[in-house]
Formats: sequence, C-alpha cells, structure tokens
Amino acid sequence: MLELKNLFGGYGKITILNGTTFKIPEASITTVIGPNGAGKSTVFKAIFGLLNIHSGEILLNGENVVGLTPKQLINKGVTYVPQGRNVVPQLSVYHNLELGGITADDQSRVKARIEQVMDQFPMLRKFRDRKAIELSGGQQKQLEVARALLLDPKLILIDEPSIGLSPNLVAEVFRTLQALRDQGVTILMVEQNAKAALAMSDYGLVLELGQTRMHDRADVLLADPKVGHLFLGGHIEEDAPA
Amino acid sequence: MSEFIQLLLSGLSSGSIYALAAVGFTLLWQASQTINFAQGEFVMIPAFFVLALSVKLGFPVWLAMPLAIILSVLILGALFKRLIVEPMHKHGTIPLVIATIALGILLKEMVKEFYSPLGQPFPSLFPQDVFSIGGAAISIPDIANFTIAMGTIVALQLFLSRTRTGRSMQATAQNPDVAEILGVDIKRMVMYTFLINGALAAIASILITPVYLAKFSNGEVLGLVAFIAAIVGGFNQIRGALVGGLLLGVVDNFSAAYFSSEYRQALPMILLIVIILVRPQGLLGTSEGRTV
Repeated sequence: MLELKNLFGGYGKITILNGTTFKIPEASITTVIGPNGAGKSTVFKAIFGLLNIHSGEILLNGENVVGLTPKQLINKGVTYVPQGRNVVPQLSVYHNLELGGITADDQSRVKARIEQVMDQFPMLRKFRDRKAIELSGGQQKQLEVARALLLDPKLILIDEPSIGLSPNLVAEVFRTLQALRDQGVTILMVEQNAKAALAMSDYGLVLELGQTRMHDRADVLLADPKVGHLFLGGHIEEDAPA
Repeated sequence: MSEFIQLLLSGLSSGSIYALAAVGFTLLWQASQTINFAQGEFVMIPAFFVLALSVKLGFPVWLAMPLAIILSVLILGALFKRLIVEPMHKHGTIPLVIATIALGILLKEMVKEFYSPLGQPFPSLFPQDVFSIGGAAISIPDIANFTIAMGTIVALQLFLSRTRTGRSMQATAQNPDVAEILGVDIKRMVMYTFLINGALAAIASILITPVYLAKFSNGEVLGLVAFIAAIVGGFNQIRGALVGGLLLGVVDNFSAAYFSSEYRQALPMILLIVIILVRPQGLLGTSEGRTV
C-alpha cells in the first residue's frame, strides 16, 4: 500500500529523514514510535507533500508520489490529521466538515457524506451550527477525525490523536480507527502513548534519527525489552512480559 | 435635532466609504499579514483611472467607471501582489510594510507628475439634490453612497460566509496550515483577497472623489482613516472595520460641528489612542483572532 524507499528530506537545508525505509500493508494499523526528534511527524509531512524531499521514493500502491501537492494526494485517497488543534476556529462544525470535502468535484456526495459522519459522531450533529472554537478540545479532535473521513480515504496519517483527550475519548478514537481498518483503510499513526497505541495496532515501527530501527508486528514490539527500555520509559520489565 | 440627524447621516455616509477601505485593509492583513500603508493611495488612484479613461481617452463615464474597477482589480490587486507582496513577504512583515509605504509615495508622485498636481473635478453618479425630512436636509449622494458602500460590504460578508469559496478564504485566513492540508488552494484564496481589495478601493474611490475632487494627495487622509478605523474596530474582523469606519465618519462630522473644526483632524487620533489604551484588541476584535 505505502512504501518509503531510502527517503532523505527535511526543512530547508536541515535533513531530518536519513534514508527512511519501510513498507506498510493495506488494511492495517501501524504505529510509529521513537524518541523526540526521531522524525515521526516529519515522515507524515513528507508523505503528505509538505516537506522538501532530497532523494528517495514514496510509493503509494506502486506509484511514486514524491512532489505531489496535498490536494493531489487527497484525490489519491490520502488524508492527514496533524497533531494539535486543527479546526478552522470561526467556521461552524458543519462548514469545517464541508472543508474536508473541498477538493471533491461532486459536492452533493460531500453533503451526503457529512450526514453520514454526523451519524457516526452524533456530537457533531448536536453542535453542527456552533463555531468550532466553541467545542472542547476532545470534541475538536473528533471533528478533525470526522473531517478526515469525509472523502472515504484509503490511507489515514494521524499524528498524536490522544493528546488532550480523556481516556474514554482515546479509546473511542482507537475504536474508530480499528473499525476503519476492518473496512479496508490503511492507518499510519504516531502516538506518544506508545503502549496503548501498539496494543491496538497491527504493526509497530521504531524510528530513530530519521531511520527505521525496528519494524515488526505490534505484539512482538510490545514484548521486546529493547523497545520497552528505549521508548516506554523503561517500565517494560514491570508492566509487560519481557 | 434636525441638525443632529443631518450630521449623523452625512457622517454615516462618509464613514461607510471609510469602512470600504478599512475592510480591504483588514482582509489583506488576515489573509496574508500584509499591512498596506498604500491603502489610501489605492483609494486615490482609481478616480484617476476613471478620469484618464473618460477625459483623456474619451470613454463615456458609465463605461469608464466599471473599466476603472477592473483596472484596479488587476493593478492594485493582482499586480500589487505579484510585484510587491510576494517578493517582499519572505523578508518579513516590516520590509513589506516599508515597501507599501514606498509604493504609496510612488503612486502619489506619479499622479502629481504625470496627471496633474491640481484637484480635478470628478463626475458624481447621483444628482446633488437635497430633500428635507422633518427639517433635516438629506442629500441624495449621502444616501446613495451609504447604500452602495453598505451593500458592497454586506455582499462581501455574504460571499465569505455563504459560498464555499468564501469559506475557503476564511479557512485560509484563520488557519492556513489546516486549509493547506485539506487541499484548499491557499495561494489562489490569498490572490482573491487582493483582487477584492482592489475592487473595494475602486468603489470607495468612485464614491468619495466627487466630494473631494480628484487629487494626488487624497490618499494621505484616507489611508490614515482606513488604518485607524481598522484598529478601532478590531484589526481581525470585517465587522470591526465596518464599525470603525462608521464611527470615524460620525465622530469626524460631529466634532467639526459641535467641538472645533480646527481639531477635527486630531479627533480620530485621540480615538485611536484611547482605544489602544483601553481596549487594544479594538471594539469588536478578539485578542487572539488569528490562529497561527
């Protein structure tokens, strides 16, 4: 589905990705973990056309998508939910959702999809005419996730979905992602809460200094003491089977 | 009382024209962090487009005016963005501000040099008739100017809130990073903002110039008034610029009549200082209206 081949890139002249290479299969959830500055978010920006790529390839279903704009990638079924708050503050919930389909030619389909995602997230229907800024942090995150689903993406890049969310909401977001995976959507996620994220993922990928250090089934990584030691705060010995 | 109503109406009339310039000023700031200190000259220039087309080239006035609006959209909108804003923007806000100040001086001097340093009569769209309601003398141009200026601002507001393009422009102004990842063509949206500003300046110019005569120095006061109106109302809101413009027009008129015509020019400044001291975000502004 998605393959990065020896990718080098960064901001201006600063290189963050140093030959990043990995491949993720269709209809799976892969969590990217790694220390701060490992280039996790940068990988997402690279895939989504927001980074200077110096060399290497990003293959989406076998096609090299390096150099495409976000709009072109959206039309190829990729969607990106960055970390932090990403709503348009003064627009209503409904119009924020509508922006999720702004690139579509068929706006009647977008309207129908907005109704569907509002069925999926009833909170959004309740507050459809409220300004996005008036929602709580967790509600804004749900709005972002819902907006990302508007065009039925095939690949979702989601960065730190759990930040600022209550454990209940995190579980709900994770359940949503798993349900999407079961429908055939591929998900690549960065998550600080690595243990919980790996526990709900199919695969895990350890990134360090812009390079893939480990890439395996999520349960294998969870059980690996090296991973625990490096990235889970060293608690793996007590909390998980080594 | 009748004098009060008279002053109020003519104040609202000029205030609504100030508001046109102030709204454009605010839009440019929101969409691209451009503080356009040539905005006054942008309102001065279109009148000369009309004169050049009608007096020099012989177009009828009814045709010269829409042509002047189109020229303004192209030159004060698109060309301004391409030739000045885009190259300067990457150097930061201050170099861009200085560039717009330079542009203002250039436009002013060009008109003085190549057209005329003297005030030129400018055709009014409306009969100069005055009618009386309850003793208050109400001039038709005042009513017409107010109606057109307010109609333009309302139409703009409707465009921004009721159309998908308008909402994409809002998204670009409020959160450009998000707009980009959603696939909004942010460059195009910013360009639209500049085109709209060109049109607003041209409409303001056509409405206000019959009052002042067309003169190269008209932009000095207009630019200042637009700037103050935008700050007073709240720099990050169209509604703020509208209220600021109207307020300034009314204050200006009342101060000249009831206070002192000598201090007329000082009052907008006093208003500005008071607002900055007491309510720096402006009357309707929010202190963090922009999310970056």
